Amino acid sequence: MNTASGFIKAIESGSKHLIIKRFTFRYPEQKLKFVGDGYQFDPKRGVGIAGYRGRHILFHDKCTGCSLCSIACEGIAEAIGMVKVDENWKQNKKSIMPQIDYGKCVFCGLCVDACPFYALFMTDDYELSSFTKEHLIYTPQQLEVKPKYQGDVEIIIDDRGATHG
Amino acid sequence: MASLEEKIEETRRLGLQVVKETEEDRLMTLSVGPQHPGSGHFRFTVKVDGDYIVYCDPDPGYVHRGEEKMCEYRNIIQNIPHLERPVIHDSTNVTYSYSLAVEELMGIEVPRRGQFIRAIASELNRQVYTLYWLAIYGIFLGHSTMFMWPAGDRELFIDLLERLTGARVTHAFNIPGGVRNDMPEGFKQKCLEHINYYEKRLKEYEDIFYNNPLFRQRTEGVAPLSKEDAIKLGVTGSVLRASGVPYDIRKVEPYDVYNEIDFKVQYMKTGDSFARSYVPFLDMKESCHIVRRLLDKMPESGEVRTKLQPNPKGPPGESYKRVESGRGALGYHIVSDGTPKPYRVKISVGSFRNMLALPFLLVGQKLADMPAVYWSLNYWPVEADR
Repeated sequence: MNTASGFIKAIESGSKHLIIKRFTFRYPEQKLKFVGDGYQFDPKRGVGIAGYRGRHILFHDKCTGCSLCSIACEGIAEAIGMVKVDENWKQNKKSIMPQIDYGKCVFCGLCVDACPFYALFMTDDYELSSFTKEHLIYTPQQLEVKPKYQGDVEIIIDDRGATHG
Repeated sequence: MASLEEKIEETRRLGLQVVKETEEDRLMTLSVGPQHPGSGHFRFTVKVDGDYIVYCDPDPGYVHRGEEKMCEYRNIIQNIPHLERPVIHDSTNVTYSYSLAVEELMGIEVPRRGQFIRAIASELNRQVYTLYWLAIYGIFLGHSTMFMWPAGDRELFIDLLERLTGARVTHAFNIPGGVRNDMPEGFKQKCLEHINYYEKRLKEYEDIFYNNPLFRQRTEGVAPLSKEDAIKLGVTGSVLRASGVPYDIRKVEPYDVYNEIDFKVQYMKTGDSFARSYVPFLDMKESCHIVRRLLDKMPESGEVRTKLQPNPKGPPGESYKRVESGRGALGYHIVSDGTPKPYRVKISVGSFRNMLALPFLLVGQKLADMPAVYWSLNYWPVEADR
């Protein structure tokens, strides 16, 4: 290729982007929208349901304290420990439930795959930063709370290019 | 400024002894890395004679994590999250190869839809990896636009993979027996939309980078690797294909559904830095077509995963399977003694084999061409060290 025309084409393709809306978005004013309500698993069919793998959600009325999630995590991150809770559930005789350390969790979601009672799922919430390590340890009571995460932007592609809008 | 001869004359006149410099004194040893001056977590020492490199000694191992040993203490499923850590940008291909090896060992059949989904995830992940590599290649040649564009367009595929797998980078999506979840609603449309837009972007990449006379002058004819040398050195992936050997694992040893997909192996004949950087780009283009064909041929519904036992164990034996990753052939050799934990896992990575070509290529090149040669090898230090 001719040197001059090569330069002109390079400058032309770059300068086009001066008038195109930018692709980046303004986090944290804007947040990404995810599909579904987070990663879930159907033990009957043995297949997961697509969704974002963020912080877990624990259903106290379904957890039996079998500690399979903790066993699944053993060789991976060792983030799940079983702790005593002051609750009396019929299905949970031992009154133990998982407590998750997000300083260690790698969000692989294999604990969700291990749960046979639909008690442990994952949610869209990924904003878990804190000032101390202790605050990263989520007790069963904290895991029960539904997250307030609300995304508003996703990638939109039109003739003029791609933007987050 | 007085010339060297004049200086020597002056010294003689003053009655001082003149020490002639030896060949060794003329050479200067430089250490490149390991604190990322464009080398990743990898160090190599070069000896330079003026501006030219006369000797190169690679020194890998700074990010050795003992992945192979770690595999022996975890069961087959628990191995997945830590195995993708060496190359998080290509995590689906890493677990793909591992899953294939375990399936061969245990004799597991993967449902047809599951095979298509993981092939699609693998192709999308190849784009993510290659764009990341291209961004680094651009910035180390001083082209900052080429850093921003691929890094931004990577988001298109990260978004798709996030919809499909639930994680942005470390997907842990492939599992022995298939994939962990089915495709979400509307994924096919979204995927085609992103790919159509991305192909338009690739044309712009060509204009601003690959056809840019500045880039061409810095890479064309730099450190050529001949076909015979490439085969002798045992390089793989884009480095091998750039030297004129049309060798692609997807074509040579087709795994899953790749034998049903019609695609061309992209290769070039010159073997210089330009060819080594252009072949991954051609691969990205071809990969877009492959995703389209996979989406067309995919069954509309069906199972995606074969259910395994809670603590799966295979019969005693061994298996070896490899896939074409972003950096070339990536193989897993698994030996099992009948327990849930593998007896031995050996990972054969493309990065390490491509790194072996570095001392041969750098000799005789200018020091300023070092980044153009080093990054064209498609080398990922963390994967090579494992």
